[in-house]
Amino acid sequence: MTTTTVRRTRAARPDPRRATPHGPLAGTGRLLRLALRTDRWTTGIWAVAVAGLTQVSVVALAELYADPGEREARAALIASPAATALAGPGFGLDDYTFGAMTANELALWLMVPVGIMGVLAVSRHLRAPEEDGRLEIVRSQPVGRPAPVVAGLLAAAGGVLVVGVALLAALLTTDLDPAGSVLMVASVVAVALVLASATAVAAQLTTHARTSSAIGMALLGLAFVLRAVGDVQGPRSTSVWTWLSPFGWSQATAPYTLDRWWPLAVGVAAVALNVGVAAVLVRRRDLGTGLLPERLGPARGRVGGLVGLTWRRQRTSVLAWGAGVVGTGALIGLLASAVVDFVAEGAELSAILGDVDDAVAAVFGLYTVFLAVVAAAYVGTAVGAARAEERSGRAAGLLALPVSRVRWLGAQVALAAVAASVMMLLAGAVMGAGAAVTLDDASQVGRLLGAAAVTLPGVLVVLGVATAVLGLAPRAAGAVWLYVAYVGTVGMFAALLPDGADALSPFTYLPALPAEPMDWPAVAAVSAVAAVLVTAGLAGVRQRDLDG
Amino acid sequence: MTDAIAVQGLVKTFGRTRALDGLDLHVRTGEVHGFLGPNGAGKSTTIRVLLGLLRADAGQALLLGGDPWHDPVTLHRRLAYVPGDVTLWPQLTGGETIDLLGRLRGGLDPHRRDALVERFELDTRVRARAYSKGNRQKVALVAALAADVELLLMDEPTSGLDPLMGAVFQEVVREAAADGRTVLLSSHVLAEVEALADRVTIIRRGRAVSTGTLDDLRGLTRTTVVAGLADVPGARDALAALDGVHHLRVDDAHVTLAADGAALDAVLATLAARGVRSVVAHPPTLEDVFLREYGDELATLGLGER
Repeated sequence: MTTTTVRRTRAARPDPRRATPHGPLAGTGRLLRLALRTDRWTTGIWAVAVAGLTQVSVVALAELYADPGEREARAALIASPAATALAGPGFGLDDYTFGAMTANELALWLMVPVGIMGVLAVSRHLRAPEEDGRLEIVRSQPVGRPAPVVAGLLAAAGGVLVVGVALLAALLTTDLDPAGSVLMVASVVAVALVLASATAVAAQLTTHARTSSAIGMALLGLAFVLRAVGDVQGPRSTSVWTWLSPFGWSQATAPYTLDRWWPLAVGVAAVALNVGVAAVLVRRRDLGTGLLPERLGPARGRVGGLVGLTWRRQRTSVLAWGAGVVGTGALIGLLASAVVDFVAEGAELSAILGDVDDAVAAVFGLYTVFLAVVAAAYVGTAVGAARAEERSGRAAGLLALPVSRVRWLGAQVALAAVAASVMMLLAGAVMGAGAAVTLDDASQVGRLLGAAAVTLPGVLVVLGVATAVLGLAPRAAGAVWLYVAYVGTVGMFAALLPDGADALSPFTYLPALPAEPMDWPAVAAVSAVAAVLVTAGLAGVRQRDLDG
Repeated sequence: MTDAIAVQGLVKTFGRTRALDGLDLHVRTGEVHGFLGPNGAGKSTTIRVLLGLLRADAGQALLLGGDPWHDPVTLHRRLAYVPGDVTLWPQLTGGETIDLLGRLRGGLDPHRRDALVERFELDTRVRARAYSKGNRQKVALVAALAADVELLLMDEPTSGLDPLMGAVFQEVVREAAADGRTVLLSSHVLAEVEALADRVTIIRRGRAVSTGTLDDLRGLTRTTVVAGLADVPGARDALAALDGVHHLRVDDAHVTLAADGAALDAVLATLAARGVRSVVAHPPTLEDVFLREYGDELATLGLGER
């Protein structure tokens, strides 16, 4: 289904060979075709994954909440501030139809991955070719100066649209109202286009694809937090904070309930503004540079060994991910009293959730897993960076020194493990401190720190999987992301998925503190699995040919 | 004399491509050994096997008496490597990179490091992402040459260097050789190999096609001789009767010919008997030697045998 879409896109364009190559946009068509061709697998995998997961989730939700009474209870639960922070503005809660439920609880989790895809696609098309010199060859052809940027943006937008079409096709197979589905998909696409165009601006400011995608991801995180704060403060998109975030505009469309298109106008305006700014910046700078200048550094080195080198390579990434995890932990902790008030007020809700302490514990258990999944994603990037070291040839330079492969990879794996542990423990402590202050209960610090600590073996299993793939099947490195996505999906939506679908996620076996009792044998077993996987990866990398 | 590198019947395949197909390579301790072959002949693959980055499918590779796959760490203490396409950590400066690489090998001689930085005119404060290809190459050269090692493995080390820096490079390699270090120098710059190498191995499609001293290899290739003579017709007849004389041409006062190495003695004796007035002899360059091995490919490319 995705391939047909790509073909249709190609066929719809006039044959670029017949166009005369002059003017600022000369060559855009050909560059666009090349970019779409390069992306066809990536786009295809995203489309299939997003559409497939959506289809499964919607069908499962429909079965699980077939009864209106169940949906009403669900509405009461989802209206709690803590749930709102990870869901939506809560349109249609008083008549929680299945459509309202989909828009409120699922849409955000479609916007996040498609938005990430847009950010990565723009960095890939705009900054990476310039960094490795491909753009120089392209620009020496009869190609207009802005043409590569226009083609890159169009290619990123095209990829987002392909995923959108796949998503729409998946939604149309369900019982959901087609008009609402079109609006919801348009909202998802709008978020991705805003974030992609903002990344295009970032790509003009920095010299490196990695920096520009890091800025794009940071914007995504910021937008997420703004809408979380906004939705908690003012239900149904009434807070100013909500309207500062692309997620906020897109969720304000309220598909399946109000079905209003006008909030998307804000998104369209933001895209136009970003593209305009990027176009102005493109004209102002030289090829191969950003607007932020290069500075000279020290003439002598203080980089201490392999761990020091890994830290220098990774510190921006560690600090960015760490800030995200710890910041989210703090936010969750501060929401604790809102959860308590909410449960205490609603009598029928206490009947579902048990007493107040249990409710708080259940909510924190879920959130801690969410944080752990983010930490696991960081771990995936850290091992992915080791693979990039290998492919670039930098690893060969190190391994030609008296440095063993186990030491080389071990230093990177160890740093990832320590960094992920520190960010989780800090997040647990901060979350606990927030909860302790708002609930006036000092014991929360210890409880939530413990809850965060007990997820660490799970994060280390993801590290182990990534290491094992690197050591044993390095060409399948991309599969690590499928695993991270799987762990994230079952961590957040286990209840919706068929029984046994969560069997391969380590978090299934770890006790969800503080709601569940401590289970030392499970923690020990999951830790052992992580150790075995890491060891297998280190042994594998010793036995295979090195690429690059 | 022992061999610093002894490679026997080395085979390495990547999928269906046979990158090394029974390669032999012997590098004697203390010599500078030129390693020649066009792109894709297997030079880099050989060096990567010698570094223990790739595992050979068959054959034997001994490096400094050890097995490069099984004990890379001990062997790497005694060697340094310069790749042809140097990639560095974009966020580190050149100086930080040199010192990091030095620290990982247990320390560099600081005086030697500074002297090399100065001779290669490298600005060590620049971050690697801002370096040109030539400057990245200099970083790798300084890091390798400042190390106290017995063996230097260099895979097209001068690609991207300007001619001035190429001259510095040659000087530095000569000094290394004078210190008794062994150098395996893979290169496309034949003049550089000719200037530096004691012995040369030419490889083709993963096999060594000829190996020996430059003089040995030259002997296998023709020397061009142009002589002004008193008795041109007599010389023509006598030369035409000799084995190993090719492309004989005459004009009013000169003969021009190409002589095999083995025929040179007879050619010169014949000329001397016919009243030599002037003589110019071009010994075969390494380029001639190299192109002779690839004569058929030149023909395919429509360039003809040289």
